[in-house]
Amino acid sequence: MLLNEMIIDENNVGFIPSLGISFEVNETAKRIIELIKEGKSKEEIVEIISNEFDVGWREAYVDVEDFFIKLKVYGLIQ
Amino acid sequence: MSKKYEKPVIIKVDFTMASKYGSPLKTQKIRSEIDEVNVRDLVKEYGSPLFVFSERIIENKYHEFKEAFTSRYPDTEFWWSYKTNYLDAICKIYHKLGSKAEVVSEFEYEKARSLGIEGKDIIFNGPYKPKEALKKAVMEGAKIHIDHWYEINDLEEIAEELGKEIPVAIRCNMNTGVYPQWSRFGFNIDNGEAYDAVKRIYEGKKLFLTGLHSHIGTFMLSAAAYGAETKKLIELKNKIEEDFGYEIEYIDVGGGFASKNRLKGVYQSPEVIVPSADEYAEAITNAIFENNKGKLPKLYLETGRALIDEAGFLLTSVFASKRLPDGKKSYIVDAGVNLLYTAFWYNFDIALDKRYEGLNEPSQINGPLCMNIDVIAENIMLPSLNRGSVLSIWPVGAYNVTQSMQFIRYRPRIVLIDKNGNTHLIKEADDLDYVREKEILPDYLK
Repeated sequence: MLLNEMIIDENNVGFIPSLGISFEVNETAKRIIELIKEGKSKEEIVEIISNEFDVGWREAYVDVEDFFIKLKVYGLIQ
Repeated sequence: MSKKYEKPVIIKVDFTMASKYGSPLKTQKIRSEIDEVNVRDLVKEYGSPLFVFSERIIENKYHEFKEAFTSRYPDTEFWWSYKTNYLDAICKIYHKLGSKAEVVSEFEYEKARSLGIEGKDIIFNGPYKPKEALKKAVMEGAKIHIDHWYEINDLEEIAEELGKEIPVAIRCNMNTGVYPQWSRFGFNIDNGEAYDAVKRIYEGKKLFLTGLHSHIGTFMLSAAAYGAETKKLIELKNKIEEDFGYEIEYIDVGGGFASKNRLKGVYQSPEVIVPSADEYAEAITNAIFENNKGKLPKLYLETGRALIDEAGFLLTSVFASKRLPDGKKSYIVDAGVNLLYTAFWYNFDIALDKRYEGLNEPSQINGPLCMNIDVIAENIMLPSLNRGSVLSIWPVGAYNVTQSMQFIRYRPRIVLIDKNGNTHLIKEADDLDYVREKEILPDYLK
């Protein structure tokens, strides 16, 4: 999984060394990527995000689902 | 304490997207107010979607065109093109400003009359004028612009029935150097047909010619084309005045002037390619002065789009979003192509109601219709929007209200903001009773 390679700096730029490509992410995306790297499931991530941020579980579910599709489009996860 | 939430966004960095104008990932176009009225307040009070018209913009645009033409050619008259937008309130504003009426059907004719416009102040254009409607317009003194040979015959019969000679104008078409050439309305000047039509009218002795009219196209980006049109109309005027002794009171160069909308497939911005009112006026009036022989005719304009398009906004709210398989974000909003006929050829200026946190990403805006063609914007960079975010779509003042369809969803309310910033409901939304008003259910199906 390419996402495991991603190094995110203090400016929220994520770099994939083996491909030499970069991504811009925001705080929420950065946190989700951390959780994916920790091996958390999608459902666990939704739970954590809705606890850590001022967002309801339902909205968080939609957004995490959406984010996973985007990661797949970029080939960062399978 | 919970941290402030922002929808998660990841965007691949593409250095080719950066330019001297900044990053498209961070640039947001915001229009939180129309004439100092907050767009969210408008939606809250009148519902969404909502058409909004600005009287201030209407007046400013009208005065811009009037000044451009009358400063060069004082004997210029404006005839409001009803088909562009025939809401009563809109027509009334133009009539109060001094515009007369240009109509292309008996329905529009009746609408103008019901608004207090006298027959003599109505131009009756169009290829389809049922004889009864034509007769009524003749009796009320409307200016009839003949489109085809059959109409000459109809008018001669009406002249016999009424026992009087009828003043008429003919509609002309011609090559003005632009593509596509509009050739299906009126009589062609280049092949002599227009001259032959005048000869036929002269020999018929029931009608007499007072005007020449042409409408060379729509969204014309070339002022020079109007110069070419005017030159040919004036040359025809000179010739028929000499050959038949007519005195042509007016030439009508039609409309078709472009607004600051952005045509699909056109790279440059409207500010760069759309001629100004002054450029159109310069081309037309110069051609009159350079070519006219004898008495100068009145100049009539049937400008519609260029006057009203930029005064119209459509407010629409985000209902949902989804991620398409190609990674693009699709926003489902409550206004679709049923309300925006012009979406098929314009890339509208679409603005946000406020600044949103986060990065822009490639998005598309889809309407609420269960139709794949319901696309308002196919490629637009937008930040993460929420359910209820309000977008304003502009310019939509021309042709959208008159061509909006009662299809799948009810048509929305329409609001006018007057010059003092007061809002007025000028059209109520459709409802089930309205939609079914003219339906008849046969007894055996009840």
